[in-house]
Amino acid sequence: MMNIENTKAQMKKGVLEFCILSVLSKGDHYPSEIINKMKEAKLIVVEGTLYPLLMRLKNDGLLSYRWEESTSGPPRKYYKLTPLGEQFLKELELTWNELVDAVNKTTQK
Amino acid sequence: MNRTITMNLSGIVFHIEEDAYDKLNKYLSTIKGYFKNSEGCDEIMSDIEARIAEMLQGKVSSIKQAILMADVESMIAVMGKPEDFAGESESPKNDANSKQESSGNKDADSSGRRRRVFRDPDDKVLAGVCSGIASYFGFDPIWLRAAFAISFFVFGSGLLLYILLIIIIPKAKTTAEKLEMRGEKVDINNIGKAVNEEFEEFKERVKDLGNEVNSPENKKRVKSSIHKAVDFIGEMFEAIFKVIAKVVAFFLIFFGVIFLIALLATLFGWGTISIFGNAGDSVRFSLYQLSSAVLPNDLPVYLVVIGLILFLGIPLISMIYGGIKYLFGIKQKNRVVKYTANILWLSGLALVIYVGLQLGVDFSEQATAKQNINIIQPKGNTLYLDLKPMVDDDEDESSHRHRNIHLGDWTMISKDENKFRLGYPTLNIVASATDSFELVAIKSAQGYNKKEAGYRAKSIDYTVIQTDSIIEFNSYFDIESVDKLRAQNVKLVLKVPVNKTLFLSKSMERIIFDIDNLNDALDSDMVNRKWIMSKQGLECIDCGGLENVHKHKESDPRLPELPPAPPRGK
Repeated sequence: MMNIENTKAQMKKGVLEFCILSVLSKGDHYPSEIINKMKEAKLIVVEGTLYPLLMRLKNDGLLSYRWEESTSGPPRKYYKLTPLGEQFLKELELTWNELVDAVNKTTQK
Repeated sequence: MNRTITMNLSGIVFHIEEDAYDKLNKYLSTIKGYFKNSEGCDEIMSDIEARIAEMLQGKVSSIKQAILMADVESMIAVMGKPEDFAGESESPKNDANSKQESSGNKDADSSGRRRRVFRDPDDKVLAGVCSGIASYFGFDPIWLRAAFAISFFVFGSGLLLYILLIIIIPKAKTTAEKLEMRGEKVDINNIGKAVNEEFEEFKERVKDLGNEVNSPENKKRVKSSIHKAVDFIGEMFEAIFKVIAKVVAFFLIFFGVIFLIALLATLFGWGTISIFGNAGDSVRFSLYQLSSAVLPNDLPVYLVVIGLILFLGIPLISMIYGGIKYLFGIKQKNRVVKYTANILWLSGLALVIYVGLQLGVDFSEQATAKQNINIIQPKGNTLYLDLKPMVDDDEDESSHRHRNIHLGDWTMISKDENKFRLGYPTLNIVASATDSFELVAIKSAQGYNKKEAGYRAKSIDYTVIQTDSIIEFNSYFDIESVDKLRAQNVKLVLKVPVNKTLFLSKSMERIIFDIDNLNDALDSDMVNRKWIMSKQGLECIDCGGLENVHKHKESDPRLPELPPAPPRGK
């Protein structure tokens, strides 16, 4: 039996990665900043979601990070796109646009 | 007023209230449980910890310095419950490593979490112990239930174990715990896999080390490579130690259960006490019966039973308890259980000591009673001595009753409601002052005073049977069971007039004891021979040429003798 939650999660997953890469393409951010943007867009509800995602993207070589001292609190990890990540993002953008088109076409009928 | 704990999270020091600390700690370990098997778990954890530290830092000010429960709760609300975010972010791993895994025998329900043992509140007969353990090992709980049901009847040991397990194994309360309960299977494959993963992690860390050293920004966070190596070796040893500890834990449980069953069986059941006699020779006495034969009348047997259960049982139960806790990685500490166990053990010890003292007092004095056993003087000069065979007296009793219990030189031949039949009396042969044969029984026993001991000694019942010139000695003496076992003993002295003769049959070997004789023969060499009481003492008549063969070694003429001392006037 299909599980609606499961399907929703599957759909969200790809989009989430796409969005994180997009956010980072506009500049280096540390997780809290990324979270705030994502929250504004209501893409994620809880912050914990982000960390495993970032980790995976980093392990796949799409992201890299550097440490930066913070005036308040622990040092922060600033993430940025690697060249591979930028390329990946471009392809995702293409795919996304195609998808939007395709979805629009099929659902509007 | 609440106690606060000082905590270091991601390098920042917090003062946090105790309950909030517990909550936070639990939260972190749950998250860790979720990410345990995903790559970069440590890194995710440190990121999450850093973020939590950042959030909590926003909650303190110069006025409010401690982190409260509410702060932790609101942090968790923002961060999300582990089951909320872990599932969402999960996706098929795409490295070669995980492909193997997914193509392997991964069950549909194994979402890569480490399995933990809980009591299953949704599938229970009594407290969900069986279903919890069964789902930990992944088999049908019905078998375990059946096994427990049967073991309830084995001296109630199953019940005890079950209650113990209820106490040790926590109930699965949250969804997360229920998921953990059904998590990844724990079997040899997975243990191997887990070890592999740990090793991969080490490799990863060693590799990271190089990269990290090269990046100047994070020198601060980099440990020296020596440190890392030491850590690595340390962790290797820790892993090895853990495996050994698990094996030890398993044996603790195993032997704990075995000994516990043995203890209960000994106390209540039909367990035999095998220190007595040769193998296959032991009479079926439970400790219960035996102690009722020894304990003073005013000291109830259940005191001993309770005392021993507490004194020996509590350490055994603690063994099982500790073993299970370690094996299943249960961290929960229960002070009430600990104190109760200590108190019960101490009261068991007190009971055992009390009973021991009471018993000891009852052995404090010894008394003897002399009894002349009438002997009809034989017509001839010779008295034939024989030992009566043991069995023919009570042929109706089942055969195992006739097996003996030995404890040192103490032997119990049989026992019924009223009597204990003990062996063996000892016989000595001396010269008689008169011109007739006399037999004296010197009976001894112990008690808390001379009088008591004297009564006991007197009530020992020993008889011989005489037919013409043959005296048949009984190999046992009887004591009343109300007298209890108090080191009762019978020493027989046969007084033989000068110039009268004796014949010792072969069977007499069992009871004669260190009889002085002119031939210096050992007891075993005295039987089957005729002896005469000469003026000097007992002397062998029919030893013939063997006369000196059986002498004690020190007087054996065949031993090389020292050369005679040289004459003085040389």
